Order: sequence, then structure tokens, then C-alpha cells
Amino acid sequence: MSSKAGVPVTFDKIAKSFGHVQVLEELSLQVQPGEFLVLLGASGSGKTTALRILAGLETATSGRILIGEREVTNVLPKYRDVSMVFQSYALYPHKTVAENIGFPLKVRKVPLAEQTAAIRDAAAQVQIDQLLDRYPRQLSGGQRQRVALARAMVRRPSVFLMDEPLSNLDAKLRGHMRAELKHMQSTLGTTTIYVTHDQIEAMTLAHRVAILEKGVLQQLDTPANIYNDPANLFVAQFIGSPPMNVVHGSLEGSSFQTSGARVTAPVSGRISKAILGARPEDCTVVAPAKGDLKAEIYTVELIGDHTLVTVKAGQDLLTVKAPKDFSGNTGENIGVSFSRERLFVFDTESGARIR
Amino acid sequence: MGAAGLGEWIDRHARTFFIAPAVVLILIFAIFPTFYSIVFALSRVKFTGSGLRFRFVWFDNFLAQFSGNEQAHFLGKVNDMGPLGWAFSLLVAGLALWWLYRSWRNGATWVGMTGRVISAAMFVFVGWILGATLLSGNPWGTLLTTLFYVIVGCLVQFVIGTGLAFLCSQPISGKNFFRVLFFIPLMITPLGVGYAFKMVLDITKGPLQPLWDAIGLQGWAWSTDAWAARWFVILGDSWQWIPFVFIVMLAALENVSKDQIEAAEVDGASSIEIFREITWPQIVPVAVTVILIRMIEAFKIVDLPNIMTSGGPGIATESMTLHSYFLWRANDMGSSAAVAYLLLILTVVVCASFFNYVVLGQLRSAK
Amino acid sequence: MSESSFKLVEGNKSLMERLFEPPAIGKMSAMAKVVAYGLLAFWSLFVIFPIYWVIITAFKDAGAVNQGPFYVPFVDFQPTLDAWRVHFSVDANCDLYSIGRQFFLLAYNSLGFVLSPVVTIAPMEPQICKVYLAFTNSLVIGLASTALCVSVGSLAAYALVRFQYKPKFGNALVFVLLALLMILATSYMGIPWYVSAAAALALFFLLARALGKRFKASLGNGDILFWIISQRILPPIVVIIPIYMMFQAVGLLDTHLALIIVYAVGNLPIVVWLMHDFFAGLPIELEESAQLDGASRFGIFWDIVLPLTRPGLAATTLLTLILNWNEYIFAVFLSTAKAQTMPIMVAAKNAGEKGILWWEMCAIIVIMIIPVILMAIILQRYIAKGVLLGAVKG
Repeated sequence: MSSKAGVPVTFDKIAKSFGHVQVLEELSLQVQPGEFLVLLGASGSGKTTALRILAGLETATSGRILIGEREVTNVLPKYRDVSMVFQSYALYPHKTVAENIGFPLKVRKVPLAEQTAAIRDAAAQVQIDQLLDRYPRQLSGGQRQRVALARAMVRRPSVFLMDEPLSNLDAKLRGHMRAELKHMQSTLGTTTIYVTHDQIEAMTLAHRVAILEKGVLQQLDTPANIYNDPANLFVAQFIGSPPMNVVHGSLEGSSFQTSGARVTAPVSGRISKAILGARPEDCTVVAPAKGDLKAEIYTVELIGDHTLVTVKAGQDLLTVKAPKDFSGNTGENIGVSFSRERLFVFDTESGARIR
Repeated sequence: MGAAGLGEWIDRHARTFFIAPAVVLILIFAIFPTFYSIVFALSRVKFTGSGLRFRFVWFDNFLAQFSGNEQAHFLGKVNDMGPLGWAFSLLVAGLALWWLYRSWRNGATWVGMTGRVISAAMFVFVGWILGATLLSGNPWGTLLTTLFYVIVGCLVQFVIGTGLAFLCSQPISGKNFFRVLFFIPLMITPLGVGYAFKMVLDITKGPLQPLWDAIGLQGWAWSTDAWAARWFVILGDSWQWIPFVFIVMLAALENVSKDQIEAAEVDGASSIEIFREITWPQIVPVAVTVILIRMIEAFKIVDLPNIMTSGGPGIATESMTLHSYFLWRANDMGSSAAVAYLLLILTVVVCASFFNYVVLGQLRSAK
Repeated sequence: MSESSFKLVEGNKSLMERLFEPPAIGKMSAMAKVVAYGLLAFWSLFVIFPIYWVIITAFKDAGAVNQGPFYVPFVDFQPTLDAWRVHFSVDANCDLYSIGRQFFLLAYNSLGFVLSPVVTIAPMEPQICKVYLAFTNSLVIGLASTALCVSVGSLAAYALVRFQYKPKFGNALVFVLLALLMILATSYMGIPWYVSAAAALALFFLLARALGKRFKASLGNGDILFWIISQRILPPIVVIIPIYMMFQAVGLLDTHLALIIVYAVGNLPIVVWLMHDFFAGLPIELEESAQLDGASRFGIFWDIVLPLTRPGLAATTLLTLILNWNEYIFAVFLSTAKAQTMPIMVAAKNAGEKGILWWEMCAIIVIMIIPVILMAIILQRYIAKGVLLGAVKG
């Protein structure tokens, strides 16, 4: 069984431009056999283009694509042995569920008996074997999603490609489908490349996450590493909810200088415009005149198991994760202290992390 | 009541004022004349000094078309039917009866059944005329000429128009140029089209004259051969109307979801499979609607045969509208109105049948 | 569970696939390109050639037309302006002065028509250039009937989208019956049409009042829409003679007004059909909000609805304009001299004793085609958007 082993995928210096617009800049990326890789980025980051180039739906301006050992840069989609789930599901409205799932087999002229068996298997795997005779318009969003998955699975491709497959579902269903998708991928063991703009999806599903911005790969690492050790300011702010706090100032030696305060930094150097980053859970509200920064309370929001306190320090707004019994009034003076070993320093100009 | 009061009153009756102009115009200039036409069709009309004088003659004008002196003109020569003609007519009748029986068994309502009987009767009648004229080697009349223009013309225009639309939906460069260029014939006056083709295909002075000479046709003329003349008219008609099919089918093709096409490409379908399995089934509703619209307009054909062949040779290219027009020019207003009425009945039955049994079915299955 | 995987292998292609399979998505194979561009080029030639031939014929003289085919101006024949001279300079009435005068007369006669209920102003009928007369006739009739048709048609289409109508089936029957009675009385008994029409109308309102409540079966918006659209099926030849008689009775034969009304009614089904779909696609919230702001129904229609459907309105207007511009059969019946349109001018060149004067005819066809080609280029934006499809989607 070939699919169980999984197949590696390689992007080798893939670049793509539409006219004068550079969408991808020399993207190089190795996907391990059987890996679940998520391409994460905002809209316009080039993530979908990268996926479509891998599928063969777009042609790269330069660079090579390898699936396994085989170079497929100039191969038609149908000979690449990949299957794709579209954001819109792209179900054929005039075909029943069974005909939709069986379409890849039909065009391969697979014998009818074998087709029927394969359709049943695939439908059973996504639990839609009761719906085979329905038309897509008679299905709910979640069911359509499953049909699209079954159609992608039925021919056992070497690589699954998914383009924001969950974004058309409501929040509750999305969480449910996420878990099922992850389970399915780990049982099948097929290499999967998944495009999303949703960081929760990326963090929960991926073995590794590749973060793209403006066509440039920012960081490729496991979800935990991306969270705990962001490569630059963009990644630091893109991942995490609420996002990482930033304090503007300058780095002088091993201390970070900001309006009237001085924080001991985890690194040393000399940069006139620098940013200090701290995640909300790494900050604490302390008594005024204590801690690292002087601040005043801007607003207090009770979330449930914790309270988010937004404070104003100089020109910067900081969010602090406080216990749920926190109490304080808007305008009240307080202090903020950081856990020193979990602070990051970035260069304001380039966004690069200072290590 | 002041100005504000009047405005208020108009606004309160806006419901009526919005639709009344259209309804009144149609009642006066479409419905009323249609009924008025019956009086002409049922009368012998005479011009007198003080206007027209009508003499009621029951259905004489209609009967004249079917069995009297006008029979050969309207139906063709139907009196000696060959064996092939008989076989064909019986086959058509059998098919119609079988269709009626099947719909009866499938539980059609009384209204539905009445409609089907009318459609079937028209079908059998046209089949019989076809058997008695064309298939028995006899000339046919203006009824079948009109149907020839409608059926063959629509078919040719649909196939070529859809083909062109398919070509223009492929990744070719200069798409917008072709789109505008192919659209232009639709906007040119039918009169201009008729004369242009008469010139272009002229045997002795037209641009293709070297070609005609080469194949030995210099002494020949379009207007001498019935079939050549009919295809000549179809050519002009198609040149004008293919753009209509083209533009609508192109829009339909481009309206098919791009995701679905791409999904099929990734799934391994070839271009032909994509067209057959994904695109075509989704544009069938548009296709049958286009054919219906085209059919409705095709029944009215008059300018082209009038200009290109004047209905000749003999009556070979005379459409029913032209037939009625010639009768009017000969001051036979009763027969003219009768032929016009027969055209109306033919058009309504054929178009309504096509609409009910084909278009509605497709629209329903698309919903 | 079947464990085989279903792969397409690139190696074993059929001959067709080898020739026509594209090298990549969005591209075409060399063979497919040859076929596609070959067909497109052939069709372009087929479309252009008749138009080209008409244009060059307009610049030929009798000799160049009658002595066999000549294809390229300046190369195998010397273009002349003979055909144009016939229309413009030989005609003594065709100079700039008389064209300017025609504009004055047009304004003067329109004013006369508007004021005719109040004072009688005798219309001026100068002898003027025929082509110019036909062109202005076509233009005035085309524009006026388009304006009438589009305004009446969009009002009705909008009404059928936003209001509920329940006309009684019985009232329609009464109307038909009375219309027939009126026709019979006028035709066979010689009663003047205005007497019978007034009587029928009065009877209709009386009966509709009296019997209206008894009729149970009523029709809906869908039926009205279908009824209006289905009028397009009516072949013009059926109604043309009665319409001729009707205009004769009121003395409007060979006037602009007759053609304006007939063209407008003929195209009403198309306008209602197209506009109905555009209106049905509009969100109702905007109109509801305007209603709360105190706008009247007509105000809403004019200020909010029409601007929103501008692209559809433009496409519909241009389509109607083109149909009116090219119309022939009604014009043949209803205009004899004064209201002659361009198509009649074209056909008139067929009636000469010396056979068809092709060069003169082609000059008129060229004059007719130019505005239409310009419109095609304007319309192209809307064609590209596929606006026309909207109606076909049903």
C-alpha cells in the first residue's frame, strides 16, 4: 500500500508573479513523508498560490516542484497523483453524492464493481454512506464538506491538498471537523498540505506550520516552537490570541529603554529603535511604582476563566492576562511586570528578532 | 384637491399606475388586433369607396388553404403519396399514439392530456405533410418551408454558435476582440444582410466568381434550384443569428464555477470529459432557453427570403409570413389573415410544446 | 477494503491526447492552437467579408460592379464617390442649409404637435433630401419608441416584482367578449368604431364592477408576466392589417407616432422580461428604508431603483434601440412617404428599372451600419459582463 508510507514534497525556489506583482519569492520548503503541513498566512500572502502551483493549477514562474523523487513542475494536474479539497467544495451540482465521489474513478475508467466498492469505503470513512443518492443541494454544509473529503480520498492519492476547507462552516462544526480531519490524516498517513488563515486551525492540526507573508516564508517549525520561539516580529504578532504585546523603545546594552522606564532585556546590543515583546500570559499586574513599567488601566474584560486587563504604558496599549477575580477601575495607576526569560526583542526597522 | 393632494393620490394608486400603461398598450395594439384579425380571416373583404366591406364566409379562407385552390401553395402537393411517405406517416402517428398512451398511464391530468393531444395532432399532421411531399418526391408548401427555416436554421445556429462559444471560452488570446467581432452581425439590419449575401454569393459578379467558374457553375443561379435557394436563405439567417447563440452560450459557459472545472482537472478529467460531464449538464437549461427564443423569432422570418430569393424559385423559399404578405399585396385580405392565423397557431403549438416538454423539464431539474 | 491506488500514468496516451492535451493548465497544445485559431480566423473572415464587400461596393461605380468582381480599392478598381453623390449632392435639397433648416422644421413641427389641442399650427413640409429624411425618421422613431418602451416596460417589470396583483379571470373573459362584439359591430354592421369602442368600454367597466365580485378564479403576478412576455410569440403579420386599419381610422398612417407606438409594443415583452430579472435581483432593504424616509413610490423608482440597475437598463435600451433601428415589416405597412425609415430606403433601391442599384444601396446600408457598430463597441462592456445572460438564467 503506497499511500500509507507517505510521499515527500519539495518546493525548490518556487517563484510566481502575475504581471508585475510578485506573489511568491523563491519559496523553498520540504514536506516530510506523511506530514501534515499547514501553510498559514493572511490573504494575499501567497499561500493559496503555493498550493495551486503544487496542484498544477498555476504554473510557477521559476523553480521546481518535486513529489516524491519525481519532478512535476511541468506535469498536468491529473498526472501528479494529488487530490484537492476546495474552499467552495466544488461539488458537481448535477451529480449525486455517489457520482461526485466516484468521478475521479470514472474518468480513470475503473471497472464499475471496483468503483462502487471504493465509493462505499470512502463514504463510510467520512460517515456519509446514508446520503449516497442525494444531490449536493440537499445536504448541509458539514455533509458537503464530507463529500468533498470523500472525493479527495477515494482514489488514494500520494498527497492531499486542502484550500481553507473548513472556512465555510460555522464555528461549532469547524471544531468538530478539525478533530475528525486530524484523526483521518493520522490513520491514512498521507502527506497533507493545508492552507488556512486561521491560526487556531494551524496550531491544532499541523505537524509543522509554514508562515507566509507577502510571498516570503517567515518561519517553518512545529506549532510549539512557533509560539515559544518566533523568528521575527511578524510571526510573534500573527500567532497567539490576544496577540503579543509590544513596547516601543531602544536597546542599550542589556537593558531596554522606554519612556521613563528601564527593563532588563534577555539579550544585549545597541539599537536605537527596538521593540520589546511579551505575551499577555507572561505579564502581571502589580502595585503602582512596582514592576517594570508604570501604566494605567484602560479597560477590564472578564472572559470567564481569566480576565483581560488592557493597560496604557506611554504610547503603547498592553494586554495582561490576569486572574478572574481581578478588580480595578479605568484610569487607576498600576505597575506591569514581565517574566524576564520569556521576553523577546525585535528590531523595529526590519522586524528581525534580536537573539 | 391641491398639488400635494394629487401627488398623494397618485402615490396611493402607484400599484395601478405602474402597470397600467403596459397593459393598456398591449391590450390595444396586440390583443385587440389579434381578435380583429379573426374577422378578416372569416370574411371576404372588398374595397369600396367608403372603406372596407366584410362578408362573413365562415371558414372558407382556412379551408381554401387545406383543400381548395391554395392547397398546393400552403401544404404542397399532397395527393399522391408514395410508399415511403406512407411508412413515415404511419411511424409518426404510431409514435404520437404511443407517447399519448404512456403519458396517460403515467397519470397526466385532464388539462395536461388535452395539451398533449393538441401537440400530438400537430406532430402527426406535420409528419403526414412531410411524408406526402418530400418523402413522396412532391414539392412542399410554405408550411414546411417555414418549419424548415425554424428547425434546420435553429439547429445549425445552435451547433455553430455553441461551438464558437466553446472556442472562445478556451485560453486563447484576443478573446475580447473575437467577442465583439462575432457579435456584430446581430446588429446589422436583416435587409442589409439579405442584400449583402445576394451580392457576395452572386454567381457572375460576386467575389467568389472564380470559384464558381472553376467548378463549372457560371451559367447557374441560386434562384433556379429549390434546395440551393433554401440553404442560401439559411446561410444568411445563420450569419445574422449565430452571434445571439454565441453570446448567450459564452456567458453560460463562463458562468460555470471555475472551482468545479479545476476540481475535475485535478481529478483527472480531460477537456472533453470536463465539457461532457461538468460543463454541458449545467448549461443545458440555458441552451434550451436559447433555442426557444431563437425558434420564436425564426417563425417570423420574412425579410431574408423576400430579399434573397423573393420566395422563389416558385414558392420554394416562401415562408408563411411572406405567403401572407403576398396575398395581402394581391388584395386577398381574407386569405392573408387566414394564413397569418395559421402561422400563429403553428407557432404557439410548436413553441408551447417545446416549452412544456423540454424547457420546463430542464429548468425544474436544474433547481 | 480495496488498497489499490488509482493513478493516471502519463506514458500511455491515446493519439488524440498526444495531439490535443495541453502542456499545462491555462495553455493549449500546438495542435489545439492550430485548430482553434484556424476556426476563429475562418469565422472572423466569414463575419467580416460581407460587411467589407458592402463597404467597398458603396465606393464603386456601375462599371466596377457589373464587370465582374473587383476586390481591393485602388488596386483593381478606382473607388468613386458616385453613389454618395447621388444621395447627397445630386439631390438639390441636400445641402448644409437645408439640413439646418430641417432641424428647425423638426422643432417647429414638434411644437405644433404638442400645441395641437390648443391652437392649430400648419405643419411645414419642405422637399428635402430623402436620405436625410429617412435618417432623421429612423433616429426620431428609434429613440422615441425606445424611450417609450423602456419606461413603460420597466415600470411594469418593477411593479410585477414589488406589488401583488390579483386580476380576476372572469374580467379578462368579459374584456375579450366585449372586444369581439365591438369588432363584429364595426365590421359587419357599419357602426362607427368610436361609438362601438365607447360602448364596449362603458359596458366593460359596468360589468367588471357588477360581476367582479362573483368571479372566484384570479390570476397572479406570474400569469401577468407570462402573458406580457408571451406576446413576443405573436407574428407581426397577424396584427399588421388590423393595426393598419386602426391607424387609418384615426388618421395616423404614415406618421412617426404610429411607428413609435407599434415598435414600443413589439419590444415591450423583451424589456419587461429583461428588466424583471434585474429588478428581482435587487435587495428590498434599500427601498424599504427609502419608504420609511418618506419617499413616494415614483420617487423610489426614479432615485433608487433605476440607478441601481443602470448596467441592465443600458443593455436593454441599446438592444431595443438596435431592434427599432433595423425594423422593416411594420415600416413597410405603416409608412408610405413622410415617415419612411432607413430600411425602406434600402429596399427602395431594389425597385429601379435598371435592376438593383447596388452601389447606391450599399451607401445607405453603410450609413445604417455605422451607428450600430458604434453601439456594439459601447455595448461590449455589458456583453463582457454577461448581462444578457441574466435573463436566460430564468
